[in-house]
Amino acid sequence: METLNALMAGFGVALTPMNLLLALIGCFLGTLIGALPGLGPANGVAILIPLAFTLGLPPESALIMLTAVYAGAMYGGRISSILLNIPGDEPAMMTCLDGYPMAQQGKAAEALAISAVASFIGSLIACIGLILLAPLLARFALTFGPAEYFALFVLAFATLGGITGKNPMKTLMAAALGLMMSTIGIDISTGSQRFTFGILELYEGIDFIIAIVGLFAVSELLFFIERRAGDGDSSVKMNRLKLRWREIVAIIPTSLRSGGVGFVAGVLPGAGASLGSFLSYTVEKRILGSKNRFGEGDPRGVAAPESGNNGAANGALVPMLTLGIPGSGTTAVLLAMLVSLNITPGPLMFQQHAEIVWGVIAALLVGNLLLLLLNIPLVGVFVKILSVPPKFLMPLVTLVAIVGIYSISHSTFDLYFMIAFGVLGYLLRKLEIPLVPVILGLLLGPEMEKNLRHALSLSDGDWSVLWSTPLSITIWAIAILGLILPYLLGPMLRRSMAAKRNRN
Amino acid sequence: MSFLNDRILGVLMLLLAVAYGWQAQQIPVPFGGGGPVGPSTFPTLLAVVLGLTSLYLMLRPDPDNAWPLGRTLGEMLVAVLVLIAYTLALEPIGFPIATTLAVGILCWRMGARPLPAFLVGLGGAVIGYIAFNFGLELTLPAGLLEFH
Repeated sequence: METLNALMAGFGVALTPMNLLLALIGCFLGTLIGALPGLGPANGVAILIPLAFTLGLPPESALIMLTAVYAGAMYGGRISSILLNIPGDEPAMMTCLDGYPMAQQGKAAEALAISAVASFIGSLIACIGLILLAPLLARFALTFGPAEYFALFVLAFATLGGITGKNPMKTLMAAALGLMMSTIGIDISTGSQRFTFGILELYEGIDFIIAIVGLFAVSELLFFIERRAGDGDSSVKMNRLKLRWREIVAIIPTSLRSGGVGFVAGVLPGAGASLGSFLSYTVEKRILGSKNRFGEGDPRGVAAPESGNNGAANGALVPMLTLGIPGSGTTAVLLAMLVSLNITPGPLMFQQHAEIVWGVIAALLVGNLLLLLLNIPLVGVFVKILSVPPKFLMPLVTLVAIVGIYSISHSTFDLYFMIAFGVLGYLLRKLEIPLVPVILGLLLGPEMEKNLRHALSLSDGDWSVLWSTPLSITIWAIAILGLILPYLLGPMLRRSMAAKRNRN
Repeated sequence: MSFLNDRILGVLMLLLAVAYGWQAQQIPVPFGGGGPVGPSTFPTLLAVVLGLTSLYLMLRPDPDNAWPLGRTLGEMLVAVLVLIAYTLALEPIGFPIATTLAVGILCWRMGARPLPAFLVGLGGAVIGYIAFNFGLELTLPAGLLEFH
């Protein structure tokens, strides 16, 4: 009942005309960015963050807009998967398997419509899960002490990127690098200068918005040059949509199951949307047994990964909102956004900023409905935009990011810093060092250090306090498991994803 | 398939870990001692983690990715230089001209013909300038185009 009231208040926030308009703009821009081959939701949100800041919006409105971008990018990813057989990001890979064959059979419009409906159902299920689970988890998390929190941060790093990153040691290295960056600046508890080398601009530490835009957006430009993605496929043809109700009804059971599977995968720290879409595809294939034509353009093969992918994306918001620990790259970017707005996510947020939390959850529901309504009639527009050659789009997208950063601070020092991060991001990605733990380290470093110091000063310097309660021991155990399991499962998951893709 | 990348990375990261760890020990202890955990505890811990992971990479490196060579590398350097030049030029010559040139050069280097490339740059610059200065009321520098 309490939750329901809070949610109603949240709708009050989300449904003001301005927030509704912002959600609409966010959905549109997000879909657009998600549809561009090579640009995933993390890059998309990273590019649009500076823009949201420059608009000077109140925190809940900025957050609603970026949540809409996030949801939109998850929708948009499927467009290039289905039409061009180019996944926008890893989770969209599974959608290629049946989406592209459908497009080849002249059923591109149906595939797009089905994926929009499935995405909506997956998001809806995950939203319901979020509404039920988040307050419970937040209440539970209130019992955490500094030692538990420190262990929880370790858990986030141990599991994050474990499945998507190839080498867990590199994930750990990336986390250490990010955490090291977070120690630059003036130490909050003692006022000592750390690693500033007397440079005035470093006193306040590294601004993670600059780091994010540099690492994700600028490095993407360099990758684009290397890949020479050429002129884009302008030969995309759309058939007229003739979707029958029967076809939509046929994918509903699949979408419901996959949304649930995806949600669970999303809530698990670090697993994220790749696992969500992969698991739901595999599970659904098993359930349908001999009745499936997966891999040959089965509509349910489009619905399953799309629903799973969106379920996972929204599921990842649960640990992000309740514990302040993001479950995926994009939620890490959203977390950066929250921190920049002076809101510290975590259990207390549900008490201190209830209107923001529930406003965002409500906005997520509204955004998904908008996306469904937008996507079916407007799909032709997005397809047109896809046929604009990327050689024009990439420079423009990069410049939007640069101008956004500049208009926040009007400091060219920030821009040089961002370009340097871009080159660093390129080098790291080339060496297969995942970027998300770097960002996460930069982001979570101060809190992690604060909890460590707090715990240690309570115990007078005795390190064993970090694993002295049953709860903290449990979290440590899961963290260690999280570091080792991907070592075994990760290569298996990637191999079977690649094998499935190659077979088509 | 050699394993040089990760070995070099490992060596560099080990150097970084040592330098960072050493620097951490130089952080002045605050007045009054600061309790059992000072400002150098956490950085020291991080230096150890980075050191261990870099040793691991030196011993068990992954196979190499190919690095871009020759022309591609040149094009990437050009792109970075264009971004730096854009930052340098943004305030003195202004957003509209700098953006036209930067987007134009980038599009052209990516394989567009010069005329469409610079037209896209001009369009982006004009739309961006109008949107930011009048739509969002955030002043972007006009530079040379400023009228007094």
